[in-house]
Amino acid sequence: MIAAMDIAFYTATALYVMAAVMATRYLWGADNRALLFANRMLAIGAGCLVVTFALRWGIWRRVPLTTVADSLNLLVLQVTVIMLFIVRKDSLRALLCFHVPPLAAICLINATLAHGKLHTPPRELRGFPLTAHVSLAFLAYALFLLASMTSMAYIFQAQRLKRCRTTGLFQRLPSLEQLDHTLCGLVRYGYMFFVITLVLGTVWAWVDQDLLATRWWLSPKVLLSVVMVFFYGLAFHGRQSGRLRGPKLAYLIFLGFFSLLIIYLVLALMGLNSYNFWGTAA
Amino acid sequence: MSLVVVGLNHHTSPVALRERLAFPAETIPAALLRIRKRLKGAGAVILSTCNRVEVYVHHSAAAEELYSEVRAFLSEWHGTPEAEFRGALYEYEGKETVGHLFRVASSLDSLVVGEVQILGQVHDAYLITQAEQAADKVIHALFQKAFAVAKAVRNQSAIGRGKVSVSSVAIDLAVSIFSDLSRKTVLVIGSGEMGELALKARLHTVVEQAPSLVNNGEALALDQLASHLPRADIIVSSTAAPGFILHLADFRSALKQRGQEPMFVIDIAVPRDVDPEVGELDNVYLYNMDSLEQVVNENLRMRRKEIEHCMAIVERGRDQFARWMHGLVAEPTLTSMAAELGAIGERELEKTLAALPDLTDEQRREVTHLTERIVKRILQHPTAEIKREIDHHDPSTVLHLVKRLFGLKESM
Repeated sequence: MIAAMDIAFYTATALYVMAAVMATRYLWGADNRALLFANRMLAIGAGCLVVTFALRWGIWRRVPLTTVADSLNLLVLQVTVIMLFIVRKDSLRALLCFHVPPLAAICLINATLAHGKLHTPPRELRGFPLTAHVSLAFLAYALFLLASMTSMAYIFQAQRLKRCRTTGLFQRLPSLEQLDHTLCGLVRYGYMFFVITLVLGTVWAWVDQDLLATRWWLSPKVLLSVVMVFFYGLAFHGRQSGRLRGPKLAYLIFLGFFSLLIIYLVLALMGLNSYNFWGTAA
Repeated sequence: MSLVVVGLNHHTSPVALRERLAFPAETIPAALLRIRKRLKGAGAVILSTCNRVEVYVHHSAAAEELYSEVRAFLSEWHGTPEAEFRGALYEYEGKETVGHLFRVASSLDSLVVGEVQILGQVHDAYLITQAEQAADKVIHALFQKAFAVAKAVRNQSAIGRGKVSVSSVAIDLAVSIFSDLSRKTVLVIGSGEMGELALKARLHTVVEQAPSLVNNGEALALDQLASHLPRADIIVSSTAAPGFILHLADFRSALKQRGQEPMFVIDIAVPRDVDPEVGELDNVYLYNMDSLEQVVNENLRMRRKEIEHCMAIVERGRDQFARWMHGLVAEPTLTSMAAELGAIGERELEKTLAALPDLTDEQRREVTHLTERIVKRILQHPTAEIKREIDHHDPSTVLHLVKRLFGLKESM
């Protein structure tokens, strides 16, 4: 079983890397077959990740969401499913050039560093509420990640239009209007899932008051999440009210996501991402 | 059997000569009939566009004979002495004909390389031939392959991307900003090619009635321009005004009112109608004649770069088709070889069945099937080997040997 799981996992990684190579090849040549091939590789790769997930669940008899490797697998899987849904329209397929390489990079990092056995989950990471909380949080992250990659495509298109450089990839990417529509949809759903995640987490921490430290809401991770809610809320409100649109919104989404990601990683590396930052649970 | 093309195009002849030798679409059926009267059993296609007149013929006669027949036909049909167009003609045979048609269908031989119209014209010519039952097996296969190669060229290269006329470029740019042009409002200020452009794009457009503005068929006074600006997604300006008629402040205000929705502005007036600083605003994409020309030039440069890649696709297709045609040479010999072995099988079967009168019907059927299977199995390997051999060696030598081995008649 473990060998089968490893085969599925490394096959998925190889397929994502191949898809990234094909998508990058499409950047230089206009070969549609490369993109279709990348699309298929992703679909099969996602299938392999599902198999990995199921086998891990079967082997350790608990939902595999407790390690970095599992969280990254879940993120990659969710991003892939959403991405394949987006690029089902031919006109949006070229977005794969922006979406796939970071995904392949995550897979490679995961395969190199993080893939391993399941840890025994800490007490606060057991039970259904947490599983739902983590899954929804990663769904929101997946949508925000895709939004930031789509905003890169928007910035690329808008800059090329301004500079009258309209050959190459420009001709293959969707219109600004389509990109804007996709970007807004991603942010809208990402925001919705993120808010649900936070509400769910808050209710769950409130109901089970012994689980976390008394001042869990002051932990850096929670504060960062609140900052994210305000940040995306601001971006979404700006877009809906017509004050923030086009390249400015795209820059905000792109830089905002990566700033938050870097802060999150710094917190994680410094070991400051515990809910029990201000004391321990009862 | 020879496959030839005789024709002239924009590279080899002036438009006056092409006009004289052109075939209006309604005359092509009669022309095909005439050419097939001259060359009994020929497969023929006439391709006549504003840039080329070409006659494709497949017939048992030698290529030289076909060239002279087609020239005579052109001269007779158009009432033009051969000497007047002979120098402008190109004549290709076999593989060269195949390569030429593939280049034509893929728009690599067009005046504007990469334009899509030519493929439709080649298709129409083929459809006429089909309707007139003037295509034989080779002509059918040739044109089907030409369409497949043209499709591959489009899909596997960027040759068809990026327009090369100012009006098409403007439409392309609009499409790269807005996904559905039919829902966009266009404001046309002034007159010229751009009115036609807007119509081409099927926009909610406007016909110019200088010096007023017209919006959805209703005239607007020039001083109403600023108040209508927020409603316009696309603005095409080409007035003869001596200075700017649209300023930075107008667009700032318009953008605010339309919630920063993008605006595409085409200013083709000289002197310019729109303050160039407008182009610095976010969500306003301003193009003037210079920038449109810049895009056209860049697209042309890109197409030229793609030609080499496209030619490789065409050559691959040509070689595949040439191999298929090569295989056709062996077809009569292979057919007669199969017939000969089949006949031997039948003769021996008759003898065997006569010697075994007590066999039941079921057993007789089994023996018959056995004989047929043996003949098929015996033929399988030599057939494949003969096809492979004639790909690499002189077909006449290979086929002569096969005929001697199997005792086939030399004329086959």
